[in-house]
Amino acid sequence: MGTLPRSFARPASSPPRRPPADARGVRAFAQAHLFQSPLAGLFTFLLGAVVIVALWHILRWSVVDAVWYAPDNGAACRTATGACWAVIVEKYRVILFGAYPYDQQWRGGLIVAIWLAWGAVSATRLLGVGTRLTGWALVFAASILLLGGGVAGLERVGTDLWGGLPLTFIIFGGTIAGGLPLAILLAIGRRSELPVVRLLCVATIEGVRGIPLLALLFFAALILPLFLPPQLTVDKLIRAEIGMIIFFAAYAAEVVRGGLQAMPEGQDEAAKALGLGYWLRMRKIILPQALAIVVPALFNDIIRAFKNTTFFSILGLFDVLGATKAALQDPNWVRYGTEGYLFVFLLYFIICSAMSLYGGSIERDNQRRVRRAT
Amino acid sequence: MSAPRDLVVELSGVNKWYGQHHALRDVSLGLAAGEKMVLCGPSGSGKSTLIRCINGLEAFQQGDLVVCGTRLDGTQESLGAVRRKAGMVFQNFNLFPHLTVLENLTLGAVYARFEPEHRAVERAHGLLARVQLTSQTFKFPGQLSGGQRQRVAIARALMLEPEVMLFDEPTSALDPEMVHEVLDVMEELARGGQSMIVVTHEMGFARTVADLVVFMDQGEIVEAAPPQSFFENPTTARAKAFIGQISHAT
Repeated sequence: MGTLPRSFARPASSPPRRPPADARGVRAFAQAHLFQSPLAGLFTFLLGAVVIVALWHILRWSVVDAVWYAPDNGAACRTATGACWAVIVEKYRVILFGAYPYDQQWRGGLIVAIWLAWGAVSATRLLGVGTRLTGWALVFAASILLLGGGVAGLERVGTDLWGGLPLTFIIFGGTIAGGLPLAILLAIGRRSELPVVRLLCVATIEGVRGIPLLALLFFAALILPLFLPPQLTVDKLIRAEIGMIIFFAAYAAEVVRGGLQAMPEGQDEAAKALGLGYWLRMRKIILPQALAIVVPALFNDIIRAFKNTTFFSILGLFDVLGATKAALQDPNWVRYGTEGYLFVFLLYFIICSAMSLYGGSIERDNQRRVRRAT
Repeated sequence: MSAPRDLVVELSGVNKWYGQHHALRDVSLGLAAGEKMVLCGPSGSGKSTLIRCINGLEAFQQGDLVVCGTRLDGTQESLGAVRRKAGMVFQNFNLFPHLTVLENLTLGAVYARFEPEHRAVERAHGLLARVQLTSQTFKFPGQLSGGQRQRVAIARALMLEPEVMLFDEPTSALDPEMVHEVLDVMEELARGGQSMIVVTHEMGFARTVADLVVFMDQGEIVEAAPPQSFFENPTTARAKAFIGQISHAT
């Protein structure tokens, strides 16, 4: 006779149930995260109080005591205890469009409107990737034509007069449009089996990563012309833009390389086995997946590229920040720099946050759609 | 005995080294059109290396390798020509996760064979029906089970209308309950007269389907015989030991 084991397992047949009431809802959350212990509760109260006091002060300065409209060169602002937003009302045309001819500034406004509109359309994901990218290329070309003029009866405006948000958008658009393809080529080249190609790419990437953006821009905009023959005059904006593109590409190339390295060898082999050549494998199999992997890091670089446009103000080009600085030179308004810069800060914050959200949504899209098939 | 004329794969004196390691030693074999060869042997015996050499995924240093009349000489032309005639199925499926099942099938046809898309799509639907995956046509590989993925991979290789199919351990990454659906598809292919070389540990498959079982060990072909005599009367000690281990495991 065999002895029965003392271990046991009891079969059950219960339908799935909801979790008990005290494990869900606001109360459960507060208990678990805010008032876990007396000490945690104390900190919740103290920090909560600090946040409320700070918020009240900010609200009072920026809204309750603020002056929104001050004619006679800001007379009303001098006695106010709050923010003087009147400076924005007074100077917004300079901040947004820089030194661009006043009666032509509708062109800049139109550019900003087109960018925001196409950005919104892109974010809805109703159109395919190809359509969206083609659209951006058209938006970019149209922006340059609109701002530069000289076609379709538009008055020609030299790049030295370009400024404000349209200029910022164009610098940024050019950086991404030129920098991303270059980054991909550099990343592919760095993994090449041809030693000369590999060496060239490594030298470019490491060389550019070794110098500050400012030095690169100074070199491109101010020093390079000294070495070029005088017949060869390239616009300062274009020279600086090339510097931006190379700088962006060097960093993004390393990001893209990370994606290429993360690709399982089997993907390339399977594509080879189908008889696909190198560039087809890259274009159809490797890059689409590698780029999807590095979307978060790539958006990091893209957002940084947008903020790096502010360096152009140092070269005497009036991007939004440069234009704001110029606007605040006015002796009547010079003391309201805080408000002026806060406005620009808000502008950058909104645009960068929007890009960050967009990047996040692409990331979630990829995760949903491309669950790894090992 | 003279070699038959209609060989789809022919290797003579193929040698391969990984650094100092001699991975394939004087491998010579021929696969006649319409016949099925099973490569077996312990892990590290060189059978996967061998099948990957046949499709040009691995380079070899010495010997001659001819696939469907094309000599693999390391040039891009020969690689392309061989790969268009030999379909490859991998252990890990290697489906393209960013493409739908249908796109996985049509990609090679459209971009490597320059087939009009509507024709490729038509053939793909036919092949998906043949591997009984019509309902999965528009899904992504990540949404399929392992067995379904491998059947898609087989259909993808068949899109090349290959003269020979190469299977590199097609069932080794599958859960046991999914092995059969893949083997069924392979057996059906075999019955249809498809030439194939299969690296596998599925000895039941070798017994019923193979015309020739080739046993490899340490980079050498140790024994080659029809399944009946290979399993009943292995002549070498190494093959005997291998068959003993396999039958013990099952």
